[in-house]
Amino acid sequence: MASQNLDPALAAAAARRKDKSCDSPNKKDGHSVSTRLQKELMSLMMKCSGKGISAFPEDDNIFKWIGTIEGPAESVYESLKYKLSLEFPSRYPHVAPTVKFVTPIFHPNVDNDGNICLDILKEKWSALYDVGSLLMSLQILLGEPNNDSPLNVQAAELWTNQAAYKKTVLEKYHKATSK
Amino acid sequence: MANKDVKPVSMDQEIEQLTGMARDEAILAHQDKIEKEIKESTQLVSEKMPLSVLADEFKSDPVYCQKIDDLLTTHRFIRKTRGDGNCFFRAFGFAYFETLLTDKVELHRFIGIAKKSKEELILLGFPAFTLEDFHDTFMEAVRSIQDKPSLENLVETYCDQGISDYLVVYFRLLTSGELQKRADFYQDFIEGGRTVKEFCSQEVEPMSKESDHIHIIALTNALEVGIRVAYLDRGEGGKVNCHDFYEGCIPQTTLLYRPGHYDILYS
Repeated sequence: MASQNLDPALAAAAARRKDKSCDSPNKKDGHSVSTRLQKELMSLMMKCSGKGISAFPEDDNIFKWIGTIEGPAESVYESLKYKLSLEFPSRYPHVAPTVKFVTPIFHPNVDNDGNICLDILKEKWSALYDVGSLLMSLQILLGEPNNDSPLNVQAAELWTNQAAYKKTVLEKYHKATSK
Repeated sequence: MANKDVKPVSMDQEIEQLTGMARDEAILAHQDKIEKEIKESTQLVSEKMPLSVLADEFKSDPVYCQKIDDLLTTHRFIRKTRGDGNCFFRAFGFAYFETLLTDKVELHRFIGIAKKSKEELILLGFPAFTLEDFHDTFMEAVRSIQDKPSLENLVETYCDQGISDYLVVYFRLLTSGELQKRADFYQDFIEGGRTVKEFCSQEVEPMSKESDHIHIIALTNALEVGIRVAYLDRGEGGKVNCHDFYEGCIPQTTLLYRPGHYDILYS
């Protein structure tokens, strides 16, 4: 059982959090955002090993997670690991989380501050998505950028020259991760 | 009060003078402000009020006044819902659950349908993990009607945004499931050359997307729950027209429609 792998300190912290759920502080049972996030955490740990994605709450705050995605095989990002930050609003899952790249990345749909342009993080968000499906979509986005509406024009233009593109990707990645 | 009415106007003028990004942001901020005002002024589901409150709202409008008089011959109370784009689902859900408080046979039938719906939706391709999350909360709410059939409880459930929105999502999924299951039948009702699947992901599943007749037809058919909708609109004749969904049903509850909004009516 994955639950046995849970850090007890974290579980306790998460339980404390649950009591101060922001939407319905006086609710005895029923639904709260933190309950949903706990369920997601469990499901992620059970289902997502080996898929090159992971995510975990930062410190003892269940509303703020750090995620990682590994570049898809046979893409220029292969075997590179990128960190992301995920922040969940009080109306999650009816409103999308705010997701940003923490590790600097050279990619047409990510700007210099790590902001991501992806439809499912904005107008196409659905309450049926979860952290797992979101990270998988971002993983796919790495290998299949949308070059029609780039945040990083230089990356979009360089995409057709895969050799030069990969060189820039690696330079940026190694510069960031060797610090 | 006067202050509230004046502010948005000056806001509009300010926005008019802006351009580009600043303008977009100002519009978004303005939308947020309106949403916040709606949130503060109406509960998700209100207490039952005498229908005369509606007459007061429209007292300067002769067409509506005449129709409200007509409505008063058959109905005496109203329960309002928040105008947040989910009002049909919230009004339908509350009104129907309220009938379940006193109708054990119907409650039993509904629990059967609700239980079965999870597998059906998963078979249609909805992601199991998130679907289950919504289904579980929905079932909890239905079971609490069985365990503790009190109106006070039901009002509390529906006014707790966390749970209430989950119920709305599940009703939206049930609606989407019905449309997709009988896509051949519903395709003809869909405008704009979209497939049923596209229509569902754009107009049915997302929160705050307003409901049209097709949503109502699909949901009432899916659950085999009949409702009557009374139309308070600008149509001629001075009478409130009613329509029953699904066709040929015996309506269990009545909703009041005003252009863009649904509330609950009581006799």
